[in-house]
Amino acid sequence: MGDYILLFISCIFVNNILLMQYLGNCPFLGTSKRMETAVGMGMAVIFVLVMAGAITWVTEYFVLKPFGYEFLRTMSFILVIAALVQFVELFLKKSIPALYAGLGIFLPLITTNCAVMGVCLINIKEEYSFIECLVSSFSYAAGFGLALILFAGVRERILLARVPKPLQDTSIGLVTAGMMSLAFFAFKGMA
Amino acid sequence: MLTGILIMGGLGAVCGLGLALASKIFYVYVDPKIEAVSAALPGANCGGCGFAGCGANAEAIVAGKSTASSCVAGGPDVAADIARILGVSLEAKEPDFARPGCTYGYQDADRKFIYEGIMDCRAAALLHGGSKVCPIGCLGLGTCARACPFGALSMGPDNLPVVNTDKCTGCGTCERVCPKHIITLTSGTRKIEREYKTDECTAPCQRACPAGIEIPIYISKIKEGDFTGALRVIKQTNPLPLVCGRICVHPCEDECRRNMVDEPVAINYLKRFAADYEMQSGSRVQIPLAPPSGKKVAVVGGGAEGLTASYFLNRMGHDVTLFEGSLRLGGLLRTGIAENRLPQKVLDYEIDGILEAGVEAKMGQRLGRDFTIASLLRNGFRTVLVAVGGWDTQMSAADRDKVMPGVRLLLDFIMKGQAGTAAGKNVMILGGGAASFNAALASKENGASSVHMVFRGSGPESSAPRERIEAAEAAGIKLHFNRAVTRIMGQEDSLTHVEIARISSEGTADKLGDLLAVDLLLVGAGRFPELIYVPRETEGDDQTKDTVNWQSLPPYASPFASQDIGIFRPGEAVGDYKAVVEAIGAGRRAAVSVNRFLTGRDIEPPINMVRKGMDILNVRELQPLENIPRAKMPELKDAERRENPNAEIELGLTEEQAKAEASRCLKCGLICYRRMEGSRQPS
Repeated sequence: MGDYILLFISCIFVNNILLMQYLGNCPFLGTSKRMETAVGMGMAVIFVLVMAGAITWVTEYFVLKPFGYEFLRTMSFILVIAALVQFVELFLKKSIPALYAGLGIFLPLITTNCAVMGVCLINIKEEYSFIECLVSSFSYAAGFGLALILFAGVRERILLARVPKPLQDTSIGLVTAGMMSLAFFAFKGMA
Repeated sequence: MLTGILIMGGLGAVCGLGLALASKIFYVYVDPKIEAVSAALPGANCGGCGFAGCGANAEAIVAGKSTASSCVAGGPDVAADIARILGVSLEAKEPDFARPGCTYGYQDADRKFIYEGIMDCRAAALLHGGSKVCPIGCLGLGTCARACPFGALSMGPDNLPVVNTDKCTGCGTCERVCPKHIITLTSGTRKIEREYKTDECTAPCQRACPAGIEIPIYISKIKEGDFTGALRVIKQTNPLPLVCGRICVHPCEDECRRNMVDEPVAINYLKRFAADYEMQSGSRVQIPLAPPSGKKVAVVGGGAEGLTASYFLNRMGHDVTLFEGSLRLGGLLRTGIAENRLPQKVLDYEIDGILEAGVEAKMGQRLGRDFTIASLLRNGFRTVLVAVGGWDTQMSAADRDKVMPGVRLLLDFIMKGQAGTAAGKNVMILGGGAASFNAALASKENGASSVHMVFRGSGPESSAPRERIEAAEAAGIKLHFNRAVTRIMGQEDSLTHVEIARISSEGTADKLGDLLAVDLLLVGAGRFPELIYVPRETEGDDQTKDTVNWQSLPPYASPFASQDIGIFRPGEAVGDYKAVVEAIGAGRRAAVSVNRFLTGRDIEPPINMVRKGMDILNVRELQPLENIPRAKMPELKDAERRENPNAEIELGLTEEQAKAEASRCLKCGLICYRRMEGSRQPS
């Protein structure tokens, strides 16, 4: 149990997927202008990533590994994740319309998200067991959501300030993200 | 190699098949119209329509909850496209425009501190709600002006936003960015519908006005010499300024802050001056007319209340017909007020203005004799507003019980000894006085099939003496405590049901009440409340073409009402209206209630409406002010009065007098008012 808690903490803070591994920066900048969208995106990533982690683990250990075709990992994962997201979208629309209304517009964005792909590949690289894989997927996604929501809070304030023209919008966003990343480096001391 | 191809191919095939199956299993029907409308919308997701993005609005348009012309950003071309997709004709949309709601910039208002942070209202509001003492004051940092996508807003010299109404498209961006919710969208209709709210800047005088006139605004227009502009402000909530300016009891003047220094501003004389100016200039001032709604509405009763309701319903775009039992419009204004206070020709000019606006009046048409509520509803009227006011209408009718289907005055019922008419009927009696109990017992004795008594009090103890209640119960009368009448229903010309709802501990009526079969309702009031009769859809097939089922809804209670639930509210119906201005206020609220019903909204005032007795931010004392005597109304000389007793006594202020009197106004807000030079508190 202690291992899982350690994994949970390290995935959220020490190895934060956004601020420490620099994956998924596109939605980080794209959906962080308003708190509402940031929360929606964070939830959608948690939802999708746990399922993607599970299904790619199954693909790896029941399809690729038995035949020794691990070099097809990236390709097959893209295929599986894309199909999964499509499936989830269809399923939600029919069965849980309320959840679909909340997450719907974010789901297609995640299909080709490098954070999702990255975490799935990390899970395999670290040779996690199935349970560990689920815990790490959830924790990385929670770390993504945490960073996104923090960043959205900062950005809502930045919107009010008068920023010099060349630095406006994405530029100041990246500068801020860099500073947040530096702050997260402090967690390295915990490891 | 082959295995690799098979693995990838296999995975692809499984995923493909899975998705293909899923799209069949999880298929959700989407109206193709929604997609077509979505495509026609600009896709900017600006939210100007009031929905969360273009997709949501597209769904709402197809579902009929939004209109083809709801897209502010797209304009008329997009509206035409959508109307074509839906196959409907385009309803014209009343233009919206922004309206700032603060009158004192930060340099003139009391401040808690000097703000030197980020020059943006949203940032400034994060620090103790901004630097102004007033919690709803404009912070003046120009966030709205910068946010306006159409360049219609600018910051004026006094650090308040100024709207260029020609450029304003009513997109509502300013309303959304303003952290203090001061700048809001308005329109002709919304100005008529306006009730003062606790989060708005209002002066004590305007809060006291039963008609809700924006007094400080019209007085400042008179001061500037814009007399027609002043009248336009008055007519926004009072279409009878000539009458009101002469006979109003002006409760506003009691609240005037000048009372703390010298005498109140002569608010009512100023109103009369603006109204007289119009009459003498010969050109009529009308408030904006909303695009026609194509809905026919009827107003019964041509007194001050009926005239007011007709005028506002007309201005809100409805096709109004006014029915008056006598041969001349004006009601009590015509018959009850001396010629030397309100000359007939002044009243005629006022009423002509309402008819010129497009209200069709039918004289000599008496409810119950020449037409009934059911006959109006059958003939295409969507609603019938009954504003007959006093019971004189019913008392003077020969066949009384036909005037209001099934509703009778308790006193008349007893005095005329008509308990016999209750035989075989289901009778309901409101209120708990001795007369109510007598009527209940008499009805029972005369063979009424059931008798109900409804009390607003929480229990028997607080409603009536114990022995009376016991006697009534012994006689088989059903007593309902802690209940209010919320709806009455009927078919054709008779009453069939009354809905009574429990009054909750918070003082609101339960949403769902009990439906009791009642065909005679006796009310102990001296005055008939205004009611809106609308057609009622019934379940099953008993709704044939020939029978009209109706129900009546009460207009929402005014801010001055002591109780605001249900129909036949105590307090509102004790006596006749005290003043014409109250009838005008009631008429406007009735018209607004009808409009709310016709546009599919609940008949309710805004939640945070300023009500009587509410604790509103105010000032207790004024800083030293120069004493300026109040204007004296010029009056007819005694000799001339004797010679011509019908000549009007009060002559009206002169232009100079009016301007001087208007400049006595302190132009108050919640806590702001016009100070003497150099006397502003150091901030």
